[in-house]
Amino acid sequence: MTEPVEFLTLDELCVACALEREWLVVRVQEGLIPATGDAPEWRFTTTTLTRVRRMREIERTYEAAPELAALVADMLEQMDDLRARLKRAGLD
Amino acid sequence: MEFRDYYQALGVARDAPADEIKKAYRKLARKYHPDVSKEADAGKRMAEVNEAYAVLSDPEKRAAYDQIGKGAQPGQEFRPPPGWDQGFHFSERAGPGGQGEDFSDFFSEIFGRARASRGRNDQHARVMLDLEDSFTGATRQLMLGDRALNVKIPKGVREGQVIRLAGQGKPGDLLLEVQFNPHPRLRADGRDLYLGLPVAPWEAALGAIVPVDLPGGALNVRIPAGAQSGRQMRVRGKGLPSNPPGDLYLDIRIVTPPADTPKAKEHYETMAKAFDFDPRAQ
Repeated sequence: MTEPVEFLTLDELCVACALEREWLVVRVQEGLIPATGDAPEWRFTTTTLTRVRRMREIERTYEAAPELAALVADMLEQMDDLRARLKRAGLD
Repeated sequence: MEFRDYYQALGVARDAPADEIKKAYRKLARKYHPDVSKEADAGKRMAEVNEAYAVLSDPEKRAAYDQIGKGAQPGQEFRPPPGWDQGFHFSERAGPGGQGEDFSDFFSEIFGRARASRGRNDQHARVMLDLEDSFTGATRQLMLGDRALNVKIPKGVREGQVIRLAGQGKPGDLLLEVQFNPHPRLRADGRDLYLGLPVAPWEAALGAIVPVDLPGGALNVRIPAGAQSGRQMRVRGKGLPSNPPGDLYLDIRIVTPPADTPKAKEHYETMAKAFDFDPRAQ
């Protein structure tokens, strides 16, 4: 049974990224990970998967503060956006 | 199974202290970071570095590895001696990158039991598709450890989209992220497709109806008279066949025929005389 996913729940995101629930809850409450809806019925877009995994790697690899990991993720997302624009313009 | 030299992978001595191993790992993690690295094999090297660090950063695993690795050479055919793991107890600790699925057979053989008892592995995988698959739908066989899974890819699937495989995760559902292989002509952005459309100067100047070949079938599009290079035309609903379907964006590129025969040169010279045209005039 396959189906495209539009949104992920908190539990689904935890399982998909092998993370403790508390890790995610704290970062959502701090505004470092975007979510819609109210706790704990948050909804996450599928692009959040990439953000969460990037933040997790940065925090673990460099024992970085969550805010710093979020800043790196912000910059990588901006890079993704610029790369997509280059690609659309046929300049990649 | 080949022996893996984890010390070599991190570029540290066999007696390197823990802080030196950590420093070496961080330097390499930066060098091979998949989002920024320019190295061709960055993904593969990052997986090797993660695997090496997962072992060498854990005192129990490192001690076990040192024990079995005495005298072994990298790349050498290797079998762990019977009973080698007596006296070792691996704690249930996730690897540094949480990328356990990329680890080698060597790692699985030595530390497999520790991984199996770890419980929380990532429940996601990536599936590489061709753009054409989105037009037709597809079936792909995925290997997840020792399991082969047949996955039905729905028509209209987009890059970055996540597909849920109910009941295939351990435990729960498995999430599959879709990525497209590079296409020689087409670029996808969400539901929309982008295509460079070469047109002859007279097609651009006079207008024309030209065929466009797409995975979903050929399409005739009208080039408006006076079209210039760089102009973008949108064909509604002719992107990926999602619900709703995406749009197709055509980037017009005027291509001039070569002036490689006297006849062709003559045509260009006639044009030069006929037009009082300076493309650089404001």
